[in-house]
Amino acid sequence: MRTRYLFPHWSRYLGWLLVFVHIPIMLIKKMLVGEHYEGHAAGDTGFFTSDHLFFIATALFMAIGLFLVAFSKEHIEDEQISQLRLDSLQWAIYVNYGLLILTLIISNDRVHILFLNMWVPLAFFIVRFRWKIWQLNRLLKKEESQA
Amino acid sequence: MTNNIRVERAIKNITQAELAELIGVSRQTINTIESNRYVPSTILALKIARVFNKPVEEIFKLEKED
Repeated sequence: MRTRYLFPHWSRYLGWLLVFVHIPIMLIKKMLVGEHYEGHAAGDTGFFTSDHLFFIATALFMAIGLFLVAFSKEHIEDEQISQLRLDSLQWAIYVNYGLLILTLIISNDRVHILFLNMWVPLAFFIVRFRWKIWQLNRLLKKEESQA
Repeated sequence: MTNNIRVERAIKNITQAELAELIGVSRQTINTIESNRYVPSTILALKIARVFNKPVEEIFKLEKED
């Protein structure tokens, strides 16, 4: 029904690919550079240095990946799915701002707060949305096994 | 709001999946409407009524709380 502003269904798989490619690359980089890697090497704030390019290739790929996973169409995109989407978005915004306020109060680490903010709303949205769809499927299976 | 889609389906002898296909929604949506967990939009209610050839009020009924 209202399927505007959503990516095609296949982009979900592309999204997962980007997310899962990001994890091993990030871990290897952290092992090489040390625990305190945050996108820029100490004192290095230039654009398009190797660290900056690496930052683009990992953190942003993960964000784009989560974005594609979150906003790709379902096989059958009907009005109930639209409603679940909106509900989940509302929850994601609540959680995000709750966490944002909490971290701003208890922490001074702006870089990590920004990082958290980049993926928490998307990750929470995905988990909540998929959980609700899983519940619907379980309900259907239960009905079918009774019938 | 209550509905008697289950009864109407039995009369017409179609499954949830067939009804879902006829009006272009998922089986899950038909299932949640039938079990009163989801209130369909007016458009969807009218489409369901059209499948059963009946006015909407004969399929969906308001309850006291509504």
